[in-house]
Amino acid sequence: MKIENTQSQMRKGILEYCILSILKNGEAYPSDIIEKLKKAKMIVVEGTLYPLLTRLKNAEILQYRWEESSAGPPRKYYSITEKGNTFLRELDSTWIDLAKAVRLTTKTKNDEKDSKH
Amino acid sequence: MMKKTVNINLAGTVFHVNEDAFEILNNYLNTLKNHFKNEESADEILKDIEGRITELFTERLNTKEAVSLTDVNEIISIMGEPSQYDDEIEQEKPPKQQDKEEDLKKGKRRKFFRDEEGRMIGGVCSGTANYFDISVFWSRIIFFFLLFIMGPGAPFLYLMFWIALPSAKTTAEKLEMKGEKVNINNIEKNIKDELNIIENKILDADKKYTNEIFGANSFFRKIVDFCIRVITGIFKFAGSCFGIFCILFGGILLLLIFSFVFSGAEILFQNHPMVEHVYSNFFNNKSATWFSLFIGIPIVAIFLFGLRLVNNTKIHMNYKIGIFVLWIISLFFLLNSAEDISIEFQEEAKNTIIEKIITESDTLYLSMNDVNRELVKTIPGLIPQFKVTPFEDNLIGIGMQLDVVKSKNDNFNLIKEVIARGKNKQIAKERTEEVGFEFLLEDDNLIFDDFFTISTQKWRMQELDLTLEIPVGVVIFLDHSLEDLIYDIKNVNNMWDYDMLGHYWKMEKEGLSCISCE
Repeated sequence: MKIENTQSQMRKGILEYCILSILKNGEAYPSDIIEKLKKAKMIVVEGTLYPLLTRLKNAEILQYRWEESSAGPPRKYYSITEKGNTFLRELDSTWIDLAKAVRLTTKTKNDEKDSKH
Repeated sequence: MMKKTVNINLAGTVFHVNEDAFEILNNYLNTLKNHFKNEESADEILKDIEGRITELFTERLNTKEAVSLTDVNEIISIMGEPSQYDDEIEQEKPPKQQDKEEDLKKGKRRKFFRDEEGRMIGGVCSGTANYFDISVFWSRIIFFFLLFIMGPGAPFLYLMFWIALPSAKTTAEKLEMKGEKVNINNIEKNIKDELNIIENKILDADKKYTNEIFGANSFFRKIVDFCIRVITGIFKFAGSCFGIFCILFGGILLLLIFSFVFSGAEILFQNHPMVEHVYSNFFNNKSATWFSLFIGIPIVAIFLFGLRLVNNTKIHMNYKIGIFVLWIISLFFLLNSAEDISIEFQEEAKNTIIEKIITESDTLYLSMNDVNRELVKTIPGLIPQFKVTPFEDNLIGIGMQLDVVKSKNDNFNLIKEVIARGKNKQIAKERTEEVGFEFLLEDDNLIFDDFFTISTQKWRMQELDLTLEIPVGVVIFLDHSLEDLIYDIKNVNNMWDYDMLGHYWKMEKEGLSCISCE
């Protein structure tokens, strides 16, 4: 059992949730998403995002359109699909449940520790 | 210090990159490619990442011309090594490089590569050894053995493998080279992967249309889906059998072709004397080579297709085009030499030789020197139009026709009419003079040979007709051995050729009349 595995598993789902939440407010270019995720310390390297975006696009949760760029190649602007919105709403409620669960279980653990001492 | 730069095209933009930086960048992109190669949309992800790198380059190149090593290193640290993605995305792969290699070794099917590290010439033998899990020693011994059997064919086979097989360059390829053993299961898996790509393409196209017309979950859609599944299932099964068949079939035929080229067409012809003597005249080494290329290239294609199904070996487009062009060229030269052959038969010439037979007797016993006619007649593949046949390593003429007519004077004459073909009248005429026919006169016996000779041993549709002129008052006896020689001899009794055999015939003024018939 490696700590890295557990950590990455925990982060994996949350990262998708974060991306969808960012896109909820409107379409965005990968660099915008990266900037926000970096600020939130959700990702360290940019390369992480691209496979994830493609997978979400393949799952029809995200879609993109091309836009010409003055500097460099055309850019992909990602937005959330209708299916993605449903997906996100479910994630929202899952997140609330999870947060609640974590809060409750960690609290109980601490209470137990407290009672032993 | 002056630095060499390399021009690269990244996502449609051209950059000058310092050589050292290029090396690092190229390695990095290859590592990414390897990392994503099991990913469904690997190409798309790589394009996205390349696009991003392009942007980062463009930002940095505002003030200078070439991308430097520092730039590349910075960009790699921004984009991150794949091992860093593993942390965040794929939990199943342990991040340690060693474990990953172990994983590759276990999980990846073995592929056929040339092993340039263990090479003597091109690494084909060492690659073969890796693939079949034998020592290089043995694969080289087998190659030398082939060298003795096939002669110069073996180096050509080697050359073909050298071209067709990629060399194991990256670490991942080197591991694949020694990866999981090849067996029927993973061959099937490989074919399934190939077909899945095709299936997805079909489904994508299908989606586009059916979604628009029938909707995603309509009855039609389900039927189409079901049909596609059934068809691909059949294809998958057939494909796995077909791949192996292609390799075996192609491989064996290729061996034959190689032997064919280097033996000067002898191997294919040696079992058939007719073919050997008649056609091999036209097969010089040049036309044999074009002929081999013409039929060999499609076989190479079949072989490579089988190799692709079983081994997923992909041939570079340039080789494909090159091979195709070579095939067209061979077709051109083959047609050219076919024309050369037909030219040899363009003109016909006839030559009439009259030979006097000097005899005092008034009764001649005609018979045929029946050496081995039965043997000649039973040679398979003899087409009736061919009046020549091989016999005991010689090309001889057969199928002569003998007529008996009245002589205009008191002489016995044998008239030989020879027909032959050639490039022009002159040569055709010369060919007729190469034809010889012998007979023997012993007392009252006139014995004909059962064949005519062709001194050049070249088949040019030679034919020989014989006419025996006898004076009035002479009696001839037609022996039964003449059965195949006499043809349509006119006689006053109006008897058929076969019925004339075994009888005495006297030449009257009106023609031959039977003196021993009832």
